[in-house]
Amino acid sequence: MAAWLLRRVAAALAIVFAVVTVAFFAMHLAPGTPFVPAGERPLRPDVEAGLRARFGLDRPLAAQYVSYLGAVARGDLGESFSQQRPVALALQEAIPNTVVLAATALAIDLLLGLAIGALQAAYARRRLDTLLTHTTLFVYSLPTFWLGLVLLMVFGQGLHWFPVGGVTDPVLHQALSPAGRALDRLRHLALPALTLGLVGAAGTARFQRAALLEALSQGFVKTARAKGLRESRVMLAHALRNALLPTITLMGLALPFLLTGSVVVETVFAWPGMGKLAADAVLSRDYPVVMATTMAAAALVVAGSLLADILYTAADPRVARERKA
Amino acid sequence: MRRLATLALVLAAACTSHGGGSCSGEYCGTVVFAALGEPVSLLPPVSSHRLDRDIYDQIFLKLADVGRDLNTVGDAGFEPQLADRWSWIDALTLAFHLDPRARWQDGRPVTAGDVAFTFAAYADSALGAPDRDNLKRIASVTAQDSLTAVFRFRERYPEMFYDAVYYLRILPAHLLRNLPPTQWRSSAFGRNPVGDGPYRLVRWAPGESVELAADSTFFRARPHIRRLVWRFASDLSVAVTQLVAGEVDAIEVLASPANLERARKAPRLALYPYPGSVIIYVSFNLKARGGAQPHPIFGDPVVRRALVSATDRVRMARSVWGGAAEVPPAPIPESWTALWFDDLPVLPYDTVAAARALERRGWRVGPDGIRSRGGRKLAFTLTVPSTSPPRRQYAQLIQEELRAVGVEVAIEAVDNATLQERLREGAYDAAIQAWANDPTPSSGVPELWSRNGGGNYGRYWNPAFERWERAAVTARTRQAALGAWHAALRILAEDAPAIVLASPDNVAAIDRRIINVRLRPDSYWAYVRDWRIAPDQLIARDRAMR
Amino acid sequence: MTGVPLLPPVLVLAGVIAAVFALRRQASGAAVRRFFASPAATPGLGLLLFFVALALLAPVVAPYRPSAQLDIVGLQNQAPSWRHLLGTDVLSRDVFSRLAYGARVSLGIGVLATLVSVTVGAAVGAAAGYFRRGTDAVLMRLVDVGLAVPKVFIVLVAVALGRPLGAVPLALLLGITGWFATSRLVRAEVLSLGEREFVEAARALGARPWRIIARHVLPGAAAVLVVSATLNVANMMLLEAGLSFIGVGVQPPVPSWGNMIADARDVLTAAPWISLFPGLAITGVVLALHAVSDGLREALDPRARLGALPASSGEVPQERWLGGRVARHREAR
Repeated sequence: MAAWLLRRVAAALAIVFAVVTVAFFAMHLAPGTPFVPAGERPLRPDVEAGLRARFGLDRPLAAQYVSYLGAVARGDLGESFSQQRPVALALQEAIPNTVVLAATALAIDLLLGLAIGALQAAYARRRLDTLLTHTTLFVYSLPTFWLGLVLLMVFGQGLHWFPVGGVTDPVLHQALSPAGRALDRLRHLALPALTLGLVGAAGTARFQRAALLEALSQGFVKTARAKGLRESRVMLAHALRNALLPTITLMGLALPFLLTGSVVVETVFAWPGMGKLAADAVLSRDYPVVMATTMAAAALVVAGSLLADILYTAADPRVARERKA
Repeated sequence: MRRLATLALVLAAACTSHGGGSCSGEYCGTVVFAALGEPVSLLPPVSSHRLDRDIYDQIFLKLADVGRDLNTVGDAGFEPQLADRWSWIDALTLAFHLDPRARWQDGRPVTAGDVAFTFAAYADSALGAPDRDNLKRIASVTAQDSLTAVFRFRERYPEMFYDAVYYLRILPAHLLRNLPPTQWRSSAFGRNPVGDGPYRLVRWAPGESVELAADSTFFRARPHIRRLVWRFASDLSVAVTQLVAGEVDAIEVLASPANLERARKAPRLALYPYPGSVIIYVSFNLKARGGAQPHPIFGDPVVRRALVSATDRVRMARSVWGGAAEVPPAPIPESWTALWFDDLPVLPYDTVAAARALERRGWRVGPDGIRSRGGRKLAFTLTVPSTSPPRRQYAQLIQEELRAVGVEVAIEAVDNATLQERLREGAYDAAIQAWANDPTPSSGVPELWSRNGGGNYGRYWNPAFERWERAAVTARTRQAALGAWHAALRILAEDAPAIVLASPDNVAAIDRRIINVRLRPDSYWAYVRDWRIAPDQLIARDRAMR
Repeated sequence: MTGVPLLPPVLVLAGVIAAVFALRRQASGAAVRRFFASPAATPGLGLLLFFVALALLAPVVAPYRPSAQLDIVGLQNQAPSWRHLLGTDVLSRDVFSRLAYGARVSLGIGVLATLVSVTVGAAVGAAAGYFRRGTDAVLMRLVDVGLAVPKVFIVLVAVALGRPLGAVPLALLLGITGWFATSRLVRAEVLSLGEREFVEAARALGARPWRIIARHVLPGAAAVLVVSATLNVANMMLLEAGLSFIGVGVQPPVPSWGNMIADARDVLTAAPWISLFPGLAITGVVLALHAVSDGLREALDPRARLGALPASSGEVPQERWLGGRVARHREAR
């Protein structure tokens, strides 16, 4: 068992290394010069040559790669070309924003999805179930960025219920009490989290309905019913618990992707998270930031899948036996 | 519901035990600007990007600033800023007398030593300031005493004063003297500058906003607007949404008719049109891609003129900008009003003549409707930045129009970094460029059309044009200058190295509660220090104090 | 623009034919009945056929050429009317015509990308599952790397290629980055099928490995593949829309539903129809595909345990990054 774990961790590290290498060469070989913000005049050749020399971009590619690896090993992620400050700082500020958004979206996803799925299973094959099936199917099929745009237009600009983009109010936030600040943050978080969460909830509801129906048809449920337990207790105590495990595992697998940031949602809502940071960096050829975000993303994905594996092994003894073999 | 939410916030603020009361009176007010992108650095010589300049021009002062009518010739049209008076010692020597009240924000007085230090920094090749070339006719700047800075020029020309004052934002020598030039770009000072202007930096929240606060001890008039915030948006449509929703107070360029409509419909916004300083044009690459041979299609001036004639520039401008753009007779923006001569030979929209000209040059129409000559199709790639909706629109309009005369255009929308590289290396056929200009043609025209011009990516060269252009820049009288510009622009019109598409009006949208608003085409927020909000018009964010 | 090529609709047809062919063994009368009994499958199939027909018949149905700028000053951003059923866009092009031709591009890209990813995925998965040991280990590690690559990478590669991608290269790019999950599925099926007697028998008779895989093993996995493929098409379409929205997908003037929404961002309130209809179209096709895949799953294996946990490690669902969906695949052990 321990041997298996060790092998998986080693493989995980190797994977991250491979991803970083591919990213490095792809980025440096891509056409386009860094250092120029969009819509601005190009740099003079001598100015650009000076900048390239300063950041070591005029050395051969292999040399740059080696020195980059060395720097990362020392913990130095480099300096952002477009932000004039260490990449680590930029990541430090972007990651919490993405985590907050992902966590909230996941919470909405799970709670709403479970509730709707349970509701559908309880009223299986009746009118409410059919209605909810069609609704969840529709919501699940919406393109996320489009839903975001529509929500922004309707609730942000149209009805003014929510602010249009950003994490906090740039002016008033500082002047508010702690309660006011929390409210301000929640208001800014609402629309992007709903955009991600609603679509996810629709998917979870579909899955949960099927899983619950299946659990409800199992033997132990029939036994429970035969014993005379109330339907709701049957549902909650037995069926739900059994159907919860696969859902949780799948959530765990989806988490890394939420954490690497949903680029489009962050762009539509001007949410300064990892996804937006990464996409902006690619488009402005900010090599150090691209490398750092790629590395972080790969590490998250690999760690997430490793965690899911461990959870799964713990949950299902048959698989644990297989691993030992 | 919005008012309820704002009320909730205000109540929350009011019930706070957090200290900080509410501002009232003449010197309150918070103006939130929408900014596209984020500043690179607020240390002036490092960056001359528009957004950075907008912000650091509130923090740092120039010696004098150009007046509202943008008269850049001589010194009569300029207003004192850091210098309260100046005098010409001789034809090549100019002395500025600094205002003795000027102070840096850390309390130290501003001296002529700072001026000399600033010039040395801007001219330093190790630092590589983008404006360095514009200062090449100034030989030296010395401090005669603590309040007198002396500029010595290499030659006499009409815009000496402009060159001396327009580019230099005076820097605090005592804080920057010990910083090696290679470290200026990434220095902490660039993110936390100390200046002598009406505003100082309070906070820079990366990815979100920059906040400036008024310096109540500013030696000229105290600014009425207490706080300036630049809020970063990734693109214009999000910014306009925020503007219409009331979260942003001002956008300097609305750019598209759709945005104009949205702003017009919002009752709390006032629109301010002002002459634009940008020209949009299709730049032909006159040399073969990256090589030295003439371009197989664009090397021929008859073909170029035919392509210009084949496009209905006026109609396209109406389609893209509504009524809010002019088609200039030459590649000049609206802000250079003196150069809009009536009699420049503008090629009219005439597809028949264009087709005839192409036929005469041997480009015959093939079975697919596209012309070809000696096995080569009359086809080229038009490169545009994917981030500019008006230019993408133009590309598709031009594609259709040129197809009607048998020219096949393939559109290539690339991201900005790739576009810059392509332009610099000459690896393109034609590209739609947008060039933002200084108030004076003396820097803009040579930059784009003279042989060594930094923006002359199409590698246009005409010695006759260069002679006239040089004459215009060094002419002693306004009449002589205008005459020379006329001759130079005439040559440009005949050579047609570009299709001049439009110079858009700038229309700014600003919240109505802000009054006494003036805008200058070259520096939108130059007069922010004069803006006011009447005390009875203050809203929640104007009153909020920390 | 010389007109949206005929290739995409041909691909759509090819994809449908391939699916039908793969399922011919399972297509018993009972299976077909079960398919149509599934609640959303029938309307889903109808909707899907509608869009496919729209794509195929675009030149006949569309009143205007998709790039025709009818009156660049007078007819911009017109609301829907009898002359222009879905209105006009900022370049005075008819939205309905662009929607019809855009169906070709979006559906075509979705199908081509899926064909590539399913083919590559099936080949890799089958090889890994059949040959096991060394081959399996190497191939699955490769799949792990592929799954670990963050999806901003697609943007990276698209940008790195320098020139904007045409529809076909874009589809190939999407397909090449999307085969990893499929390979895991096929591998699981092949692993379980490989133990069966008929395979042993074929091996004993001296049949070559690829022949065994092709004739005996893969058809058993067909059900899984087809269900997975329908979901894949949906995901690819959403990915393409997201990429076009950001600006690195299909280039103008070729219409794709994604870049139609992107173009309409500025006029979202002034002319909402320009982005509404492509958005609804994408939603419609994705919805139809999900409904059909639900029906297929019911039809082909009604006892399928949807709650089954993935057997092999790291069966990572497709990303939500650009709006892709978390694909809940059934996986046998």
